[in-house]
Amino acid sequence: MKTTLPVIVAFLSGLIMVVGFFLNPEKSFLGNVEEEVLRWGTIVGGFTLLLGVVSLVRVNSRTVSQKKQGWIFNLITLISVFAMAIPSMIPLSSKSAIGSVLYSIIPASWGGLFGTGPDSIYDWMFNYLESPMMATMFAMLAFYIASAAYRAFRARNTEATLLLLTAVLVMLWRIPMGEAFLRLFGDNVPQYINSFVMNGVNMAVQRGIIIGAALGAASMSLRIMLGIERTYMGKG
Amino acid sequence: MTFFAQFQIWLGAFLVLALFSFLYKDNPFYKLAEHVYAGLSAGYYVGLVWQSVIIQQLVDPMFDDGQWWLIFPGLLGTLMFARFFAKWSWVSRISLAFVMGNTAGVFLISQLHGLILPQTMSTMLSLNPKNGFAATLLALVTVVGVISTLIYFYFSKEHIGVLGGTARVGIWFIMISFGAHFGYTVMARISLLIGQVQFLLFDWGGSIKQIF
Amino acid sequence: MSFWEKVSNIDRRWIYFLVAVSVVFPMLVVIKFPIGITPEAKQLYDAVEALPDSSIVFLTFDYYPSTLAETEPISIAALNQMFRKNMKIITMTTVPLGGPSIAERVTRKLANKYNKVYGIDFVNLGYKANYVAVLKGMGSSIESIYPADNAGTPLKDLPLMSKVRNYNDVKFIFVVADNGIVDYWISIVNAQYGTPVGAGVTAVMAPKMYSFVEAKQLTGLLGGMKGAAEYERLVNHEGTATRGMDAQSMVHLLIIFFVIVGNIGYFATRKSGRSGQV
Repeated sequence: MKTTLPVIVAFLSGLIMVVGFFLNPEKSFLGNVEEEVLRWGTIVGGFTLLLGVVSLVRVNSRTVSQKKQGWIFNLITLISVFAMAIPSMIPLSSKSAIGSVLYSIIPASWGGLFGTGPDSIYDWMFNYLESPMMATMFAMLAFYIASAAYRAFRARNTEATLLLLTAVLVMLWRIPMGEAFLRLFGDNVPQYINSFVMNGVNMAVQRGIIIGAALGAASMSLRIMLGIERTYMGKG
Repeated sequence: MTFFAQFQIWLGAFLVLALFSFLYKDNPFYKLAEHVYAGLSAGYYVGLVWQSVIIQQLVDPMFDDGQWWLIFPGLLGTLMFARFFAKWSWVSRISLAFVMGNTAGVFLISQLHGLILPQTMSTMLSLNPKNGFAATLLALVTVVGVISTLIYFYFSKEHIGVLGGTARVGIWFIMISFGAHFGYTVMARISLLIGQVQFLLFDWGGSIKQIF
Repeated sequence: MSFWEKVSNIDRRWIYFLVAVSVVFPMLVVIKFPIGITPEAKQLYDAVEALPDSSIVFLTFDYYPSTLAETEPISIAALNQMFRKNMKIITMTTVPLGGPSIAERVTRKLANKYNKVYGIDFVNLGYKANYVAVLKGMGSSIESIYPADNAGTPLKDLPLMSKVRNYNDVKFIFVVADNGIVDYWISIVNAQYGTPVGAGVTAVMAPKMYSFVEAKQLTGLLGGMKGAAEYERLVNHEGTATRGMDAQSMVHLLIIFFVIVGNIGYFATRKSGRSGQV
């Protein structure tokens, strides 16, 4: 029951998608069922986003309550979660029961601060706090890749030399200064790099990888639908 | 620029520099920014799911349009949280199985129909020299490249003889492709740094200029 | 320690310092080399330009705030072109962290510039979870997946959405992405519904996309900040991507220098290590 029921659910929900591909939703009942199942899929999928949030709150709460080392920072994490979440969930108008109570206390003009619309607290915190920080986290990778280029990228053998030479050529080709330099060797050199390196060798290899990965994904999908693959269910 | 606009920029600049300070050494400012970032990310998901799923896809259709059957996907979604209770964690498998089965069904068709077939068909190129030297060479490179790459990643048989030779050719093709990929990756990482430096130099710099 | 050993073991913070200087210097001393246009970028531009004015198009904001420097200039350049052609734009995102907010901010800013009216000239559908179900579901009915727009306004109350039921009513899908969602736009939407798809992606993803361009599953491709700069040049709007290309050039040359010096040091220390063995 604990394993059989989920396997049956996976099979049926997958089968509807496969059969629905061959049917016109405007002319067949199964097509309509497919549309509704996809709609349910987006609703259920939304709840999975909250799993990580619940986990984060549980772990950080435990650290704060037990006053483990660095618990102040965990408290800051919890405050940040609620500072972002609570204003976004407050009703925008006085139509609902909660809204009517809330807007009897605070001015109605403050309504724009709540919810997830533009000019809300939620939107402001995302644009001026979250977004710059997320961009910076990834911007730091530029320094690490420079350090790796200096310390680790070695032409130890023929294959590595081939990789490095291509990398240098492409790095030159992708910058205006480099493109101007490459044109010194011939006006069509940048075009040849695009045609034979990117659209030739690179395209062929990527296509091979795409075909291989797609074959793997298709076979994995079939295994999931048939209940052979059950690792997504976890232990027990 | 108003005081609040200046404040926004300075706050953003402080957090950006706090994160960059990690490049020199780990420090409390970096830890502060890191934990705020983690918390805000989680909080963002809450607001997003509340508005886009719970209100727009469940509450409004059920109460305004009478679509009461949506209680079922709502329940399925709620069952996900059963995984936090050891005795009832198996119940969350039903919701997971629904989403996984759904996705697997779509993938089974889309991977075959949308990727394997078109990509394979596009590899069946004419090697007729009458098409011109460049076109023929490109076609040859494509066919040899695709086949040798697929053979390189085929590990069910030992790479010896003809198979081994083809796999060897595949490695050379792959190294060229990965070299191109590395060049592009360097470009990507640097672009992200340029974006942040533009913010610090022009937005924050502009604010400093205005104040002083 | 020999000279090359010292050079090979230099403190990594000096490397970081040189990178920082290489980024900052060109922003203060602007040189501006001409930006060449790749055939793939031209193909995408021509495809959008060839669409009749007032066509209904999708513009997706499938990217996280972490890659704004590469992807936002592409979105802005695309919006400039589409609004100039009076196209009706439907924006949406499959990225939960920040996608809806970025789409809202960028689109409204450009809409104000061109005096476009929300609900008539453009609509922001926002985000819905489970991108596979979203992409497949919009094939039969957009309203079944998005009962309301990002702000919660029912689709039936938006004049633009009364003309759009599913992909059959959309002339082109311009995907701007920093993750593998492009593969699904191609394999699910383009393959099954025939709607042409063009893509602006981060540089990390661009090499893979060439296979789709060659197979004619993708109509044009922009790769990274260079791709964004090319598109800015094509639509005649100089933005942050064009301004960033000088810094890009300088750091690329620095990285190439690091690779060369690093390898010279490696071979020099390897040689002296061998000659030291008797």
